[in-house]
Amino acid sequence: MNNKTKALPRERYRSFLEHQDRAIGSFLEIGAPGVWDCAPGNGSASGDDPPRGECSGENGPHLTDLPLAVKDNIAVEGYHLTCGSPMLQSLKAPYTATAVEKLVEAGALVVGKTNMDEFGMGSSTSNTPLGTTVNPWDHSRVAGGSSGGSAAAVAHQLVPVALGSDTGGSVRQPAAFCGVYGLKPTYGAVSRFGLTAYASSLETIGILGSRLDELEAVFRVIRGEDARDQTSRAWPRGDDEGEGSRDDAPPGTIGVLQGELGLSPGMEKSYRATQEALTDLGYRLEPVTLTTLDYTVPAYYTIAAAEASANLARYNGIRYGHRPVFAENPGELMSSARSEALGEEVKLRILLGTFVLRSGFQDQFYLRAQKIRTLIAGELDRVYQGVQALLMPVFPCQAFLRDQEEGMDSFRQKVADRFTCTANLAGLPALAFPAGVQDGLPAGMQLMGPAFSEERLCRVARDLSAVFPLQFPGTSRSFSEWRQGSDAARGGS
Amino acid sequence: MYQSFIGLEIHVQLQTKTKVFCDCPVTFGDEPNTRVCPVCMGYPGVLPALNGEAITLGYLLARALNCRLSPVSSFDRKNYFYPDLPKNYQITQYYQPLGRDGFIDLEFRKKKKRVRIHQVHLEEDAGKMIHAGDMSLLDYNRAGTPLLEIVTEPDLEIGEEAELLLQELRRIVQYLQVSDGNMEEGSLRCDANVSVNHRGEGLGQKVEIKNLNSSRFVRKALTWEIARHQEILDRGGTVTQETRLWNENRDQTESMRSKERAHDYRYFPEPDLPPFRADQPFLEGLEERLVELPAARRARFREQWGFSASQVDFLCDQKSTADFFEAVVAAGGAPDQALFWLAGDVRKLLKRSGGDLLTSPLTPQRLAELLDLLARGRIHGKIAKQTLEQVFLEDRDPSAIIHERGWKQLSSREELLPVLERVLEENPLPVEELRQGATRPLGFLMGKVMKATGGRAEPAAARTLLQELIEAPRRVSSVQVLSFGGAIAGTRREDGMIEPGDLVSLAELFQADPELPDSILFEELRLGRFLSEEITPADWATLLVRIAGTLDQGGVQGIVIAHGTDTLAYTASLVHWFFADTPVPIVLTAGEGPPGEGSRGESGENLRRAVLCAASGSAGIHVVYGDTDFLPLNLKFERVDSGGGNSFRTWNPEELLRSGSSLAPVARGVEQEELTRCLEEVLGQTCIVRVYPGMRGDILVTLMEAGIRCFVLEIFDRGTASLREGPFSLRNALIQGRERGVLFFCTSQQEGVVDFSGYVTAHALWREGAVPMGRLTTESAFTRLVTAQVEVLCEGEARSRDAWRERVLALMED
Repeated sequence: MNNKTKALPRERYRSFLEHQDRAIGSFLEIGAPGVWDCAPGNGSASGDDPPRGECSGENGPHLTDLPLAVKDNIAVEGYHLTCGSPMLQSLKAPYTATAVEKLVEAGALVVGKTNMDEFGMGSSTSNTPLGTTVNPWDHSRVAGGSSGGSAAAVAHQLVPVALGSDTGGSVRQPAAFCGVYGLKPTYGAVSRFGLTAYASSLETIGILGSRLDELEAVFRVIRGEDARDQTSRAWPRGDDEGEGSRDDAPPGTIGVLQGELGLSPGMEKSYRATQEALTDLGYRLEPVTLTTLDYTVPAYYTIAAAEASANLARYNGIRYGHRPVFAENPGELMSSARSEALGEEVKLRILLGTFVLRSGFQDQFYLRAQKIRTLIAGELDRVYQGVQALLMPVFPCQAFLRDQEEGMDSFRQKVADRFTCTANLAGLPALAFPAGVQDGLPAGMQLMGPAFSEERLCRVARDLSAVFPLQFPGTSRSFSEWRQGSDAARGGS
Repeated sequence: MYQSFIGLEIHVQLQTKTKVFCDCPVTFGDEPNTRVCPVCMGYPGVLPALNGEAITLGYLLARALNCRLSPVSSFDRKNYFYPDLPKNYQITQYYQPLGRDGFIDLEFRKKKKRVRIHQVHLEEDAGKMIHAGDMSLLDYNRAGTPLLEIVTEPDLEIGEEAELLLQELRRIVQYLQVSDGNMEEGSLRCDANVSVNHRGEGLGQKVEIKNLNSSRFVRKALTWEIARHQEILDRGGTVTQETRLWNENRDQTESMRSKERAHDYRYFPEPDLPPFRADQPFLEGLEERLVELPAARRARFREQWGFSASQVDFLCDQKSTADFFEAVVAAGGAPDQALFWLAGDVRKLLKRSGGDLLTSPLTPQRLAELLDLLARGRIHGKIAKQTLEQVFLEDRDPSAIIHERGWKQLSSREELLPVLERVLEENPLPVEELRQGATRPLGFLMGKVMKATGGRAEPAAARTLLQELIEAPRRVSSVQVLSFGGAIAGTRREDGMIEPGDLVSLAELFQADPELPDSILFEELRLGRFLSEEITPADWATLLVRIAGTLDQGGVQGIVIAHGTDTLAYTASLVHWFFADTPVPIVLTAGEGPPGEGSRGESGENLRRAVLCAASGSAGIHVVYGDTDFLPLNLKFERVDSGGGNSFRTWNPEELLRSGSSLAPVARGVEQEELTRCLEEVLGQTCIVRVYPGMRGDILVTLMEAGIRCFVLEIFDRGTASLREGPFSLRNALIQGRERGVLFFCTSQQEGVVDFSGYVTAHALWREGAVPMGRLTTESAFTRLVTAQVEVLCEGEARSRDAWRERVLALMED
C-alpha cells in the first residue's frame, strides 16, 4: 500500500499500553490473541511515533498500522464485547462491526477495548463494575461517559484515535472532559452494525481523536451505506469536494445560544472565549434561541429508555452471557440472570422504558416525546437556514469528581445532557473540540451542523485549533517519549 | 338458538431462500442450532436487514387475498419474554401492515360466504422450545423465518368452514409459490378464536384455541369447543375467556395451565428498519407474479369443460395437476379422458411410486399420446392401463412401449382374419345358430376371439368381420338388452296378478313392427327374475358389472335395461352415478305389465322406443317411458292417472344432465363378488329417514347404534325440520352423529331445491353438520350416497373414520 508509512513495533507498543494504562484504566482488554504477532512490521526497530492516518491518498485514506482503540460495546471478533456489564463479561464477539471491518481493511490495528458505562448508560464511566477509569488530567475526576475509556486513552496519548458511541452525548462529553476531539456523525452516516444497541434511533458510532485530520480520515473510511444496517445512508456524492473548495470562501455564520444557559463559571468563560475566537477568525456570530432546549432531556430519556427496554431484553442468560447457577424453569432463569447481572442504572432505565411504553400510556409519554422530537428537528431546520453551524457548550461544567458525594448525582447528570442530546434527537452531526484549559481541566465546546456537514464542522474546528491547540495532560507520554524513556532506563540498568 | 363466531389467525411460513432479517438459509429438519447466525440469535450489536423477497411474497399474498395494499408498510416491536424468542421482542407489523380489508370467498354445503380478512402482515418466527424431563431444550433454526400472519374477521360459524378456509388458503399459497403450505411441518399454522352467543346478541366470550396443526384439528377443535360453549350456555352458565389447547390424543380442548395475565406487548415502531415503500414498479412487479388462483381456475374448468365440483376440486387442488391437465389437453388429449385417467390410474400409480406429477416419468405429452392411441383404436383400455404402468417403470414414450411389446390392437382385416377363421372352424354350432337368425351366439364367439388374441382384437372391427364371415343377416347396429326383472319381464297369471319372469323374445315382439329397422342386432341378457321391489344389492352388482363389461368391451350401439317401474328411480340414478360418462346410450325402460298387453305406454311399446333410443340416441343415461325420454335423475313415478296414464315426472329438472363423469371410476372396475360385498356393506349402513311431525330424535340415535353411518333425511320442505329443544328436535341426534362420524344429507319431501339458506331451522341444520342435497330427490341423493361409499370402499385408501368421512363428503359435493 503506502511504503512511506512506517510499521508499528507491536511488542513494544503493547508494553507501552499495558504500562501507561495502569494509571488511568481506560482499557478493559488490551490486544486480542494474534494482534501483536502477525504484522509485517513486527519487531522492526524504529523510534518514531506510531504511524498516523493520512487524509488523502490515491485510493482513499491509508491507515496502515494506525493503532485504534474501540469502545467495548462495538463488536470486534476475537475481543470480548462486555458493554461494561457483568451480564456480558464472558462474551466474545462472534463477528466484527462494519465500521471496524472497514478500518481494519484500510490498515488500522485494533489494539484494545475501552471501558464504558454499562450499556452506555451514564456520563462518567463509573457505572460499571468491570474497571475504573479516571480522567488523565486529574485522577480524582471522571473521564466522562459513556465513552470515557476511549476519551481517556486518546487524551493519555495511548492511541491517536478511538471509536466510541454517542447516544445522547457519549462521545462529545468525555471528549470535552478529557480535552480531545469527539465527532458524533449524522444519524445513518456510519453503519451501526456491530454497535450494541442502547437507543437505536438516537445513537451512532463516533470518533475520538487528538488530531482533526486523523479523525476525518477515520470518518471517511467508516461512513457510507451498509446493507447490514438499513438505517444507514450513502454519503452524499461530491460533498467533500464542495466543502473543500469552500476553504477559500469567506468565513460563514455561526449561531450562538442566547440567555441563561446554566453553565459553570469556567464553562461560561470558555463559551465566551470561543465566541471571541470565532469573531477574530472572521466568522459572523448570529444569536440563536432554541425554544425546544428545555424539552430535549425529557424527550431524550423517554425515547432512549423505551428503546433500551426492548434492546436490552435479549440479555436473558440463555444463549450467552451471565447465567444463574440454578433455576427452576426457563422463566426463572431469565429473571435471575437479569436481576443478578444488570446494574442499577440499567434496571432503572429498563423499567422507565417499560413504563412509558405501557398500552394506554403511550400518548402521555412515548408518543409525546416523539412529537417533541419532531419539533426539535423542525426548529433546527429553520436555524440552519440562517447559520452554518451552532456553537454550544458540551456540558454545563468540566469533569466532575469521581467521589459520589462531591460529584454529580445521576439525576443531575441526566439534566446536564441538554446540550448534547439535541443532536441525537435531530440526527445531526456535532463535533466536540478542546477550547482551552480552565483551572487545570480541559473545557470542551461543540459545533453542531445540518445533516452531512461533518467536513464543515471539522473545518471550523481546525480554524479554532490555531487559537485552542490540543493539549495533553502533563503526566501523559507519547509512544516515542515513553520508548525513549524506557530504553534509557533499560540501558541504564 | 345459538350463533357462533370464529376468527382465525393464520401463520404462513414464506418460501424464501433466506430468513427475513439475515442470510441464514430457511430449511426444515436440520440439526438443531445449525441454521443460525449472530443476527437471528440476537447477539449484541446486530441489526435486521429486511429480505426483499419476503416482503414481495407478503404483498403478493395480500394482493391475492384482495387486500387494500399499504403504500408504506412499517415494522414494530412486540415485546414479550420467552426463551425461544432470541431478542425477547418480535419484529412484526402492528401500525402499518402490508394489507388490510381483504376477503376469501368460500362455499360450504351450498352456502356461499365471503370471509373478511382483517389484515395481513409480515413478521419473524421464533425458535422452538422442547421440554425433555427436567430440561428445556432450545432450537433456534426456525428463529427469523419469515411468517405472514393473516387475521380474519369473526365471519366463520362452524369448524368445517374454518377447515375449508385453511384448505383454500393452502391452495392459494401453493399456487402463488409463496409457501409450501404444509400444516404438518408447520409452514401453515393456525390459532382460532371462537365465541358463542344467543342469536342476535352479538359476540360472546372469546376463547382462543392453539396447537392446531392440521386443518382437521381446526375443524374438530372448533366443533368441540362450540358444543362446549353451547352446553355451558344451556345450563345458564358463562364461558370463561381463556386460551385453550387442542389435545389431539383426547380429541378435546383443554385449558392452558399458564397464569392468565393480560399481555401488554408494548408495541412501538422498530427503529432499526426504515418503512417499506411499495412504489409503482414494485406493484407492477406483483401483478406479473400473480397467477390464476384456485377459485378462478375451478370456475373456468367447470365452465370450459363442464366438469363437476368434485372433479374440478381434484384437478385444481394442486397447481401442478391443473397445469398438467391443461398441458395434456393442449397436446390433443380429450378433456374428459385426461381427467378420467388423472383421477384414476395415474393417481394410483403416483401413490404407489410415492412421487408427484412434476417429477414422475409421465409427461403431459406421454399421457396425450396414450389417450390418442386409445381414441384412435390402436389400443384398448386394458392395454392402455398396462402401458401407463410401463411408462412409470421405464420412463419411455407409450408408443415405443406398445411397439416393442406388440401390444397394438388388432383391427385390420389382415390381422383379424386368420384368428376369426380359426374360431369359426372350431365352433360350428353357434355359427349355424347365427345363420338362423339367433343373436346370442355372437357374444359367445366374440369371447372366443378375445381369448384367442389375448384381448388385443378391436371389438367393433372383429364383430363386423365376424358377421361378414358368417354371412349372418346384415346388421348396422347392435343393442344389448338387459332384462332386470319387473313387470316388463313378468307374466300375468290367470288371476291377473303379475309374477316375475323372463323378458319375451324381442325378435318375436318386434317381428311385426314395421317401424323398427331390421338392421338392429339384439343381444339379450337375463339378469334376474324378480319384481321391482325385490331388488337386492347382489342384483344391482350384477347389473353394474354387466354394464361395465359391455362398455369396456365396446362394440355395442347402446344398452337397454328393462326394469320395473317402482324402483326405477333408484336404479336409473345409480346407473347414472356409475356410468354418466358412457359413450353409448344406456336406456332404462319399464312397463306396468308384461309386454304385448296393448295400452299406450305399455311395456312392449316402451321397449320398442327404448331399443330405438339405444340404437340411435345420444350418449348418456336415458329413461324411456311412454313417449318421453326422461333424465335419469330425480324421477318420481306418479300413480295419478290424468288421462294419459301413469307416468314419471322429473323434479327440479333445471341444470340436471344425462351425462357427465362417473362418480365411481374405481368401483366399476372391480369383480362382481367384490362389488356385491361392497354394496351389501354400504346398504347396511345407509338409511333414508323421512322426517315427520312428532318424530323423536332418539330414533336416529338408535339407528346409529345399530350401525347406520349415513343418513338421507327427507325433511319437510327445502330445509325445514324441528330443532327446537326437546325430544322432537333433531339437534341432539345431529350432535351425537357428528361425534360418531355419522353423515347426514338432507332432501325435501316437496319438490324444491334444498339449500338451507331460507329458514332459521335450516341454518341450524347447516351449523350442526347436515349437508343439503340441493336439487336432488331422496332417491337420487340416496344412490349417490351409496355410489360414493362404494367408491370409497373400493379405493381402499380411507382407513380412518375421519378419512372415510372426508372422502365420502368430497364425492357428495357438487
